[in-house]
Amino acid sequence: MGSVLEFREICKYFPGVKALDHVSFKACAGEVLAFLGENGAGKSTLLKVLNGDYQPTSGQYLLDGVEKHFQSPHQAIEEGISIIYQERQILLELSVAENIYLGRMPVNRLGFIDSRKANEMAEEIIRDFGLPIRPTEKVKDLSIAYQQMVEIMKAYSRENLKVICFDEPTASLSDSEIESLFRIIGKLKAEGKIIIYVSHRMDEIRRITDKVAIFKDGHYISTVVTGQVPESEMIRQMVGRDLGDIYQNLDRNKTIGKVLLEVKNVSSDYVKENSFVLHEGEVLGFSGLVGAGRTELMRAIIGADRMRTGEILLDGKPIRNRSPHEAMEHGIVLVPEDRKLQGILSNLSVSDNINISLLDRNSNKLGFVNRAREEKTARESIRDFRIKTPSPDKKIVELSGGNQQKCIVARWISTSPRVLILDEPTKGIDVGAKSEFYQMICDFARQGLGVILISSELPEVIGLSDRIIVMKSLEIAGEVSREEATESKLLSLGMMGEVQES
Amino acid sequence: MNDNKKKHLHISGDKIVLLAAIGVVFALFTVLNRNFLSVTNMINILIAASLVGLVAIGHTYLIIAGQNDLSPGSVAAFSGVVAAILVGKGVPFPLAVVLTIGCGILVGCFNAFMVNQIHLEAFIATLVTQSIIRGFAYIICDGKPVSISNKSFLILGKARIANIPLSVWIMILCVIVFGVILARTKFGRSVYAIGGSMDAARLAGLNPRRIITTCYIMMGILCAIGGIIFGARMNSGQPAANVNLEFDAITAVILGGVSFAGGVGDMGGTILGIILIQAFNTGLTMVNVPSFWQYVAKGGLLLFALTTDYIRKQKREKDLLAASMKNL
Repeated sequence: MGSVLEFREICKYFPGVKALDHVSFKACAGEVLAFLGENGAGKSTLLKVLNGDYQPTSGQYLLDGVEKHFQSPHQAIEEGISIIYQERQILLELSVAENIYLGRMPVNRLGFIDSRKANEMAEEIIRDFGLPIRPTEKVKDLSIAYQQMVEIMKAYSRENLKVICFDEPTASLSDSEIESLFRIIGKLKAEGKIIIYVSHRMDEIRRITDKVAIFKDGHYISTVVTGQVPESEMIRQMVGRDLGDIYQNLDRNKTIGKVLLEVKNVSSDYVKENSFVLHEGEVLGFSGLVGAGRTELMRAIIGADRMRTGEILLDGKPIRNRSPHEAMEHGIVLVPEDRKLQGILSNLSVSDNINISLLDRNSNKLGFVNRAREEKTARESIRDFRIKTPSPDKKIVELSGGNQQKCIVARWISTSPRVLILDEPTKGIDVGAKSEFYQMICDFARQGLGVILISSELPEVIGLSDRIIVMKSLEIAGEVSREEATESKLLSLGMMGEVQES
Repeated sequence: MNDNKKKHLHISGDKIVLLAAIGVVFALFTVLNRNFLSVTNMINILIAASLVGLVAIGHTYLIIAGQNDLSPGSVAAFSGVVAAILVGKGVPFPLAVVLTIGCGILVGCFNAFMVNQIHLEAFIATLVTQSIIRGFAYIICDGKPVSISNKSFLILGKARIANIPLSVWIMILCVIVFGVILARTKFGRSVYAIGGSMDAARLAGLNPRRIITTCYIMMGILCAIGGIIFGARMNSGQPAANVNLEFDAITAVILGGVSFAGGVGDMGGTILGIILIQAFNTGLTMVNVPSFWQYVAKGGLLLFALTTDYIRKQKREKDLLAASMKNL
């Protein structure tokens, strides 16, 4: 009882990002502490430092006053620190008991695994948790929520469990499942564990947490007692300004033109048949849960995945995109979600990254690249998009995330596209750069481009889009105009496929 | 502009280390054997380097593109035999060269097919080719060397321009041409791009499969040319020749600063790498290191090359982290 977890001046740097910048605070036993912050604020990074997945660049963390240096998540678990992630970390083919006691199954005198004893021990924990599952059931037969419970029981089964962290645990749970999760969290709290709860959902934070630690751009801002500070104040600390202002001050496009792109019954191996239209000068938002098929639909449209059915009309004429190259030639381009792996070419310079899609245009018949022309394009892009780099020859990975993303956008804009698809363009980008991006998106629309904006951040998609399409389970669930869009409407469409009037 | 200069200076930093290593190797062997620095020996080093050099050009492209090739030794031997048989059957020499190069292209296509369509790892895919093509080299000549009597074929092995053998000139020409293509053209730029990230390059509108196929075909052509030249020098097509050719070529390329991680390196480094490894090989023979021990020494050199590659990579990442912090 009475454990204390303390962070002292923790820093974690990645190329181009200060993910954590001198973070110091304490968490105490028997209370649920929420981590609140935007995507990229450093919450998940801090958890990964805590469980030994990342090594801090500098600083220490102490458990009960003792400095710890976990080299791996395994070591952290051994010392009583467990993290429950959004993605399940369990083995689907094994039974509940086998998962709980993975790597430390009880053995009999001959050294053979004693399944019966494991099942008995697991049964005890399951009863403790009050769950209607059997220890011999295979985990793959359980619902997502119970699979998560198995993970929690796995952590709980260690007698020395001191700290348990939940990273957006309710992302894929139904209301009643959330209730039973909260009941378990209450039980862990009563037993004096340190509980860290990462979530974006204010109502959950209000219900089950005792304190809220607020993060912004890798900095720890403050810890407040839940309920004593209004939510608007917490959000203000989290984003550093009033959210509404960013969107209200944008210089938007007011004249939406004719139909530019028509997508009819397009499907691929990864997404069902979907249809929608995009107009010139329009920002069309795509909302929905992660995995709803938004990225997959766009990949089918640009030919990154093979289109199985359907057709695409540009200016009313049918086109075929068998590769991203063909899509580019038709003027349809995508800024991908995973900037590190799919966006930037990490071994090349800023200039090369901007010019990579212009190689055809920038080279002569023999294939020789005109470097003067490349340099000119690079310099113009750096100026127009205000890319912060000492020179076009700098390696792109030396830039901050926001500036890397600007290079990718510049790459595509320099090909003079008609349709610009942005997949989570502001993910992991600091707030300052975000508002620059927002104005940029509006500028593109004013120049007559059709912009498709995929975003999981509801305020962002509501604040920027003229129209919002919501996807659920690999198909379009509905469409909402800007005037009628609210966070709860988009959420209920994305989670239940219908708008519930409340 | 200023930054451009810095960039070049930085690259030559790595090259200076390599030049120093070459200097040390030359000095060491000269001390051990006075004849090492003689003109004849220098030319011998160049002759020996000509075949490895051609293959190393191919490896430079492939490894930068994130690929590899273990089949060049077999393909070169096979090409020598094919060319020897063709001229033996009365096919005019130029036509025999074209047909042999055609075989090299087919081998390249086969390698690319396995990598692109069956999604095999380059190492394993080209190991398949290594065995199959070596087998065919023996099959088509029934395991016996095919002697060459065609005059123009033999001239290829004997002729000298400015006292330097034709084979060396061919290698120098290829190094320059392929070096310029790598550094200055759209294709060269694409090779670097797919080596950095295949996914990102494809989404940026490049066609990685076509680029990879082109690289393997280039390697096939280079191996065919190398095999023909080697045959000319030996006066025969030898099915058992050129075993472990790829070993020397890969060592040279990695020594020259091409990273196994892909996306990094240049032809200038490869040239220095070739000189280093050939001086090393020739030197070992001249100071009478038993051939069994030469294998051990070569393995040691490759380990050294890979270790420097690893250290360079660590340093790149550290520099990067430091540099990116300045821009925040």
